[in-house]
Amino acid sequence: MKPDETRPGNRILTWLALAGGLLFLFPALYSIFMSFQTVDAYYTGTLDFTLENYQLAIGQFHFARYLFNSLIVSGTVTVMGLAFATMAAFAFARFRFAGGNLLFAAVVATLMIPSHISLIPNYLSLARVGLLDTYAGLILPAISNGFAAFFLRQYIRGIPVALDEAAYMDGATPLQVLWRVIVPIARPAIFSMGLFIFISEWNSYIWPLVAVGDEDLYTLQVGLARLYKVNPGEDVVNWPLVMAASTITILPILLGFIFVERHLVRGITMGAVK
Amino acid sequence: MLFRLTPYLLVLPLMSFIAVFTYIPIAASINLSFREWDFLSPTMPFVGLENYRLLLSSHEFWNSVRVTALFAVISVPIRLGLALMVASYLVRETLPSRLLRGALFLPSVTSTVSIAVVFSWMFATDYGMVNAFLVSLGLGRVPWLQDPQLALWVVIVVNTWKQLGYDIVIYIAGLQAVPQELYDAAAVDGGRKAHVFRRVTVPLVMPTTYFLLVVSVIEAFQIFTIVDVMTKGGPAGATDMLVNMLYRVGFTLFDIGQGSALAVLLFILLIALALFKSRVLGRRIHYEA
Repeated sequence: MKPDETRPGNRILTWLALAGGLLFLFPALYSIFMSFQTVDAYYTGTLDFTLENYQLAIGQFHFARYLFNSLIVSGTVTVMGLAFATMAAFAFARFRFAGGNLLFAAVVATLMIPSHISLIPNYLSLARVGLLDTYAGLILPAISNGFAAFFLRQYIRGIPVALDEAAYMDGATPLQVLWRVIVPIARPAIFSMGLFIFISEWNSYIWPLVAVGDEDLYTLQVGLARLYKVNPGEDVVNWPLVMAASTITILPILLGFIFVERHLVRGITMGAVK
Repeated sequence: MLFRLTPYLLVLPLMSFIAVFTYIPIAASINLSFREWDFLSPTMPFVGLENYRLLLSSHEFWNSVRVTALFAVISVPIRLGLALMVASYLVRETLPSRLLRGALFLPSVTSTVSIAVVFSWMFATDYGMVNAFLVSLGLGRVPWLQDPQLALWVVIVVNTWKQLGYDIVIYIAGLQAVPQELYDAAAVDGGRKAHVFRRVTVPLVMPTTYFLLVVSVIEAFQIFTIVDVMTKGGPAGATDMLVNMLYRVGFTLFDIGQGSALAVLLFILLIALALFKSRVLGRRIHYEA
């Protein structure tokens, strides 16, 4: 179907769609607006803007620290998760080896396994080796990503084997084939999976809630939930402050989203339809 | 020789992490569910099915089952119905439709904690936006999150707002696979819009509907974050979902045995649903090239 943006009436449609979208996103947009209001202005309904809420959130309430923690954890999980998933996907797509099918079935089965079943055992085993309240404790249980391995394996199978064979002829090792042939071709799929892993890890809540008691290691999600639920020394929630913290929590994804929406949607629909 | 070892070395990191953090914990959960332990005492005696018996005879457990099932049964049809209607309008690749899709999709990649916090404010009794609106219409304030009759509905609204965009995107992919000729034929036959929707669109996206149905039911049974932030399961247990109960039993009461028994029961339920999904979906043919 041809794009028909120029037909009469479509400009009105565009504006209507924009208005509909803004209305739908109103709660989120208003929370960002509120984060720039002074507390007095918020309660009296006047207009008085300030950056004070952000200064408070970042300084006194440690959100700079939480942001840093979230970046470290999500970044590490993404890089290691992608590396492990890509290596395994390459093996499952290109090698026939004893036990290979069984191992692949074990990977696919993890897609059905709900994560809460491992909550208590992972807590206990990490406690035993002293990894609670560490970055490693936050990161390690999140690294293996069966979905990414499955998705990339399907993608790699679509790449002509002749390309691998040509490289082997030239004396390449399997790792070189993976790195020089497969990875460059599969880059869009790897990129989509990277986004998928990063966003899920950024937003993950229950494991960081369980695995960390030390405030210095809170991720943004845990920090925000705490700030909202425990409002120190006040009877009423300081909404503008909470909204500033919430904005800090969603901002990286929000900014990224504008650039990568297409990749994201493609990754999600490919995973669902195939 | 090295060549034959290569695939094993390549899968080793992923497989060992899966073993340690997914498969061994399943066995550990089953084992712990037969024991009594508070995380501190030096022994963990074997108590057989006692944890299951206690759980299945507790009012708390059945309340959680009821609330979670109610949540799933109400929220899933609302999500899918709304999503299909919106998707059938947004299926065309025009600028307005792309803009709206982007806006609707955004919440599904946004932090659930943030969303729960923002909606806690929306539905706050004293300074919330919803009540401010009601007051401006001359109506009274409603204690949305304090009223046991209403709190679950608020959770459903928030969850729908977050997930709708995902459902829409999946439905659009399903709709785009439907041959355009079918719509043209229906239009030639003079079918009205509502009629075409019911007789052409709905039957043809059935495979997508099955997929979304099972995925969202499985997801609904795992809801935790929205409830943890907004209501803590309250008021009076009115929003106490199964995973919220699991968290409370395991990590605030430190009743490891009963928490594990609960985890195992939920696990069995969700695996059954997932197997049902792969059986049913495995036999369905997708309408795509």
